[in-house]
Amino acid sequence: MSNNYGSKFLSWIKSAAGLSIVVTIVVAVVASIASGPYLLVNTVVTGGMLALVATGLTLMLGVLNIPMFAHGEFFMIGSLAAFYVFTPISNYTNENPDSIIVVFGPLIAMAASTIIGAISGIIAEKLVFGPLRRRSTDDWVMNSFLLTVGLSVLLINLHQLVFGADFKGIVGYWSGMPISIYDVFISRDRVMAFMIAAVIVVLFWFFMTYTRTGMAIRAVSQDITGAQIVGIDIEKIVLLTISLACALSAVAGGSLLFMYPSYPTVGLEPLYMAWFVVILSGLGNVLGAVAGAFIVALLKVITVEYIGAGWDFVIPSALIMFILIFKPSGIFGSDVRGALDK
Amino acid sequence: MSSTITSRQMNPFDKILDKLCLTPAGFCGLALLFVLPFIPPFNQEYMLRWLIYCGLIAAMSVGFDLTAGYISIVNFGYAAVSGFGGYSSALLVINMGLSPWIAMIAGGMTAGFIGLIIGMISLRLRGIFAACLSWFFGLAIMGLTIKLVWLTRGQLGLRTPRLFETDSNVPFYFLIITLLFFIYLACKWIVRSKMGLAFQAIGQNMDAARTSGINPVYYRVMNFTISCAIAGVLGGFYAHFYGILTPDMMHTSKTVEILAVAYIGGRGSLWGGAVIAFPFIFLMEIVRSTLSNLPGLNLVIYALVLILVMIYYPGGFSYFYDTNIRKPKNKALRYFFNGRA
Amino acid sequence: MLLEVKNLDAGYGYLQILRSVSLNIDKGEYVCIIGPNGAGKSTTMKSIIGLIAPMGGTVVFNGEDITGMSASQITTKGISFVSEEMNLFVNMSVQENLYMGAYTIKDKKIQKNRLDFVFSLFPRLAERKAQLAGTMSGGERKMLAIGRGMMSDPKLLLVDEPSFGLAPQLVANVFESLDVLKSQGVTILLVEQNVTKTLAVTDRGYILENGKIGLKGKSRDLADNPHVRKVFLGV
Repeated sequence: MSNNYGSKFLSWIKSAAGLSIVVTIVVAVVASIASGPYLLVNTVVTGGMLALVATGLTLMLGVLNIPMFAHGEFFMIGSLAAFYVFTPISNYTNENPDSIIVVFGPLIAMAASTIIGAISGIIAEKLVFGPLRRRSTDDWVMNSFLLTVGLSVLLINLHQLVFGADFKGIVGYWSGMPISIYDVFISRDRVMAFMIAAVIVVLFWFFMTYTRTGMAIRAVSQDITGAQIVGIDIEKIVLLTISLACALSAVAGGSLLFMYPSYPTVGLEPLYMAWFVVILSGLGNVLGAVAGAFIVALLKVITVEYIGAGWDFVIPSALIMFILIFKPSGIFGSDVRGALDK
Repeated sequence: MSSTITSRQMNPFDKILDKLCLTPAGFCGLALLFVLPFIPPFNQEYMLRWLIYCGLIAAMSVGFDLTAGYISIVNFGYAAVSGFGGYSSALLVINMGLSPWIAMIAGGMTAGFIGLIIGMISLRLRGIFAACLSWFFGLAIMGLTIKLVWLTRGQLGLRTPRLFETDSNVPFYFLIITLLFFIYLACKWIVRSKMGLAFQAIGQNMDAARTSGINPVYYRVMNFTISCAIAGVLGGFYAHFYGILTPDMMHTSKTVEILAVAYIGGRGSLWGGAVIAFPFIFLMEIVRSTLSNLPGLNLVIYALVLILVMIYYPGGFSYFYDTNIRKPKNKALRYFFNGRA
Repeated sequence: MLLEVKNLDAGYGYLQILRSVSLNIDKGEYVCIIGPNGAGKSTTMKSIIGLIAPMGGTVVFNGEDITGMSASQITTKGISFVSEEMNLFVNMSVQENLYMGAYTIKDKKIQKNRLDFVFSLFPRLAERKAQLAGTMSGGERKMLAIGRGMMSDPKLLLVDEPSFGLAPQLVANVFESLDVLKSQGVTILLVEQNVTKTLAVTDRGYILENGKIGLKGKSRDLADNPHVRKVFLGV
């Protein structure tokens, strides 16, 4: 039996997925030993955030067949909501430093950004995607893609028009000494940001794998007619999926407000990175997107460390293009892609 | 599409129009564009600058539509490719002392080469994935331009000599209108030829095209090369008109601008984007300059128009034109809108 | 009467395929629709289940007018549809696919009972319950599709071309399993190309030609009808 598992493991290592995960881990470890463990910390924090955004993107693409270009704008909405909720909270806690809100205030802000992200997703569906779906589904992928392009420009400029173009940021969520792990000091905010991302990803994976509604979402993504004839209400699932996907992106924006202050185009970088992830990992499953997120995060961190800031679009995108030449379906790719574009 | 009257029966004027791929209405429009700089209020320099920008976007949208409308792949790195052409043209002038006119052509050639590469590496991808690949390519080119400071001066911007040694915008205006016309003509000729048929075939169904003997590899790469070469020449024009190049011109938002014009104009028509760019971009510029205390408002309107068109009229202006304006009862009007062909 | 279809018009876009089709099925009956390619057999099925909105006419199921309802609503009323393409969830396991078939049943216990019932009908599925549906053979997929259709404990089962693309041995298997269902008291509406076989097992039949009901009657009588023999059986 163990031999069987051993050979299975070996063949997994030889597959593109296994190979890239192993290479990622090795590179991460080597780089951390060479330049210091903060590389690993950065990778893990960025990767966690990216996993949230990329999972949302995968959902939109896999279930609703929408290549979402406006996903970064929900990141922006999340960070904006967190800013406006957290500012009064932090004013209050500055005056009452013993209050229990010191601990829970940031969580309230993040919850607010999640909810507002979900609501804005529903509004987007009702006002934009729904009307298009009702009118025609011919050429759906391209039309909906252009719609999201318009939505992205709209949201960015509405932000600028209503809230101004300045940086709306905070000093930090949780004050106090950085946490030290093996002589490495990590700010509390970073630790919390990663923990929140990890908890959400695990919960989300559990939801998609074991619950009735999660299974219905997967069913819709695999065969929409099949989903209809077993009695799944497609409209409900569509609404739920959009709100989930947007909420995932928004909570990433909310929990990273201390790193990325809110401004009109703050969502572009996470958007680019999330698309790198989705294209690189292929339209597989949630786990593929999560693994891909950490790979891209490591690529970015290593590029910034060894080549310099500003190269983090050039090197990862070049590498991804290189991989795509040899494996067009992505490293964790599945057959879902064939159904997506005819 | 195909003419029912053979060319022998047409009078010489119609024959020329047909060769120029214009209807009488199109001819009048073109004539209007040529006299526009002499009609007040358009004869003011700042308005001419806007009009030149309109012409530039119009020409770009024609080149963009050759890929998006015919082989159904959105080249999302189009602005970056154009910027690449612009930079190579500018660098050739600055470092090698080439004439801007020759450098502009060279810029087109380098951009065409980039198109060749994009076409090759995206061969195995389809639809939205090919679009993403060209997008990543564009991002990479833009990143390189920002970082290669010794060559491009990065964000500081590159000063370039202008095409005409004059402060007036009029010669530039005539140049861009001429360029627009010739780009339109070239694309239209390609589309009318056997190659255009092949483009449409692989755009609609690549597998079916392959089984009927069309080599999708050749035609796809060809299409990318031509379309990107057009972008490169226009990038060269941009460089030698504004006199300063920054990496911002390669930004995705510039591609979005071109894409919006091309799609509002009507995909697969070539002329739709060119026609719609003038009123649309011009109005946007007016909004931007008059309501400068509300930054971003013009782009909000812009995005709203794109969204509304995509939902309620995905065929764009050219579809509207074909279904509503093209078929008047009056015979003379019908000739005016359709020509003999 | 369990299902009553009256003067049904249906089609795709501007293309009308069905013209005033009427048919009815009593409880416990095993009824078939046969006809040449493109006659509108699948269209009839799809408009009964609500995948296509009818252009005219009414569909009454169990005394309730279900015309124009969505597929998911109609499924909840107790009709199951096994489509020609099967529409399985290819990246889910056999067991997950079956549980999805019982989506409209919220009670876990009933779901489990249904699962046991389907496994007893198709022991092959029980053996492969952890396998992904996309990796199974054509015959197994057909069984899975029928099994999934049975999971919701339907009052009426619509089966579209179950023998399509199957080897003769597997066709026999599929017909056997439908017989078992029939003996369990399930009402079945079957659409088939395999006319001889179908008329041999069903109670009643409708002949659909050019979007209209041409003939109807007992299957035995239809099999002897000279027109049917000439057109479908080639004798």
